Amino acid sequence: MADLSHETHVLDLLPAYAIGSLDADELNRVEQHLLSCWDCRNELRAFQTVADQLGFAAPVAAPSPDLRDRLMQRVHSVNTVRSKGQEPVATPAPARPFWERLLPAWGLASLFLIIGLAASTLILWQRVGRLEFATAPGGMRAVPLSATGSVPSATGFVLISVDGDNGALVVDGLPPLGESQQYQLWLLRDGQRTSGAVFSTDEKSYGGTRIRAPRSLLDYFAVDITIEPTGGSPQPTGTRVLGGALPNP
Amino acid sequence: MKSSEDYTKFGDEKLISLIAQAHEQALTQLYDRYHRLVFSLALAIVNDRETAEEVTLDVFMRVWQKAGTYRAEQAKVSTWLTHIARHHAIDILRRRAARLDQSAIHWEDAISKLESSYPDPQESAEVSLRREHIHAALNQLPAEQRQALLLAYFGGYTQSQIAELLAQPLGTIKTRLRLAMQKVREFLNKENRSENKSIAAESAYSTKKEE
Repeated sequence: MADLSHETHVLDLLPAYAIGSLDADELNRVEQHLLSCWDCRNELRAFQTVADQLGFAAPVAAPSPDLRDRLMQRVHSVNTVRSKGQEPVATPAPARPFWERLLPAWGLASLFLIIGLAASTLILWQRVGRLEFATAPGGMRAVPLSATGSVPSATGFVLISVDGDNGALVVDGLPPLGESQQYQLWLLRDGQRTSGAVFSTDEKSYGGTRIRAPRSLLDYFAVDITIEPTGGSPQPTGTRVLGGALPNP
Repeated sequence: MKSSEDYTKFGDEKLISLIAQAHEQALTQLYDRYHRLVFSLALAIVNDRETAEEVTLDVFMRVWQKAGTYRAEQAKVSTWLTHIARHHAIDILRRRAARLDQSAIHWEDAISKLESSYPDPQESAEVSLRREHIHAALNQLPAEQRQALLLAYFGGYTQSQIAELLAQPLGTIKTRLRLAMQKVREFLNKENRSENKSIAAESAYSTKKEE
């Protein structure tokens, strides 16, 4: 491991970060540091393993005997969108589908049209040197992503709807991966990374996808994009290629 | 797969791959194996049976919908389940208002229950072993470090909230928490190493016998 002096790293904060007990100021410091420090991310994984074990310490208890039936009733109620033999569907869309509200009949094509238009706008903003957290048309927030040393040509940005319920990612300069790998977007919050999208890029190294998260995108602090096995991973395992801080508290 | 297939003979990873292909019986089998683990953890966090049952339902629904994203090389299935359960339960807990006063009482009680926790005859050998290891790891901690760790993990408190709850300086709580995590990490690493040695020794013994 490289020189892990406590002045330049956040080692003392990682145990508390792993169990989500840092207060906001230190949490921000750690998350900013982790965006660019492989060593600390590695050390964090060891503490996250410890955190995962702590759940086994809970005093043993049993739920109501009918809970299993209630689970299966719930499964049957969502099975209208999923049939046997198909890949599992993602979490149901948020209650207020922002993109569909904008252009209800256009579907996914319209999403990428919007992304394309916003990208053009953003490129113009970048050219005049104004881009940090830009406010895109319609009040959306546009967050630029920075390349890491592993793919220096990569660029990208995240668009977030006003209410934070919807978001989209556009990347350029990310080379297409083999069949066994895909890119995965992670959302950072309270020391934890949540998968927001798994996607591929085309032969022109361009790609885009909708971001899906269990909570409002305004609740997350930063995003990371890593290379993962096809279908994605529960937690990041591969090389980080892009990252950026979200303009959220 | 035939409906008469015996799902009890499948390992966890196989069940997950079947769930990803929408085999409901695989989900019920996984539920039978781990619902107590998930519910116990949720209950320890939210301290309310009804809410803990909702968390349990949400965890297994998430498995039903996201089984395809599970990666065995990253975590055991049981760990994946507890990871989802904890985060969901903590989210619920943090949305509750005026929590500090209520939970002070809850946690006095919960910590003592945890210390006297009994083995569950219905849980798998793997879960029992992991429960045993983590209890041993926690029991070797000084009481004040264990208390800080449990308040952070099960209570979902930040360090400053724990300092307020226990009327201790923030620096003291930070130190307790850091030391507690480091000691648990060292203890579990040692346990894993000795377990691996035992497995290697057993394996060598079996090979020798076969020869």
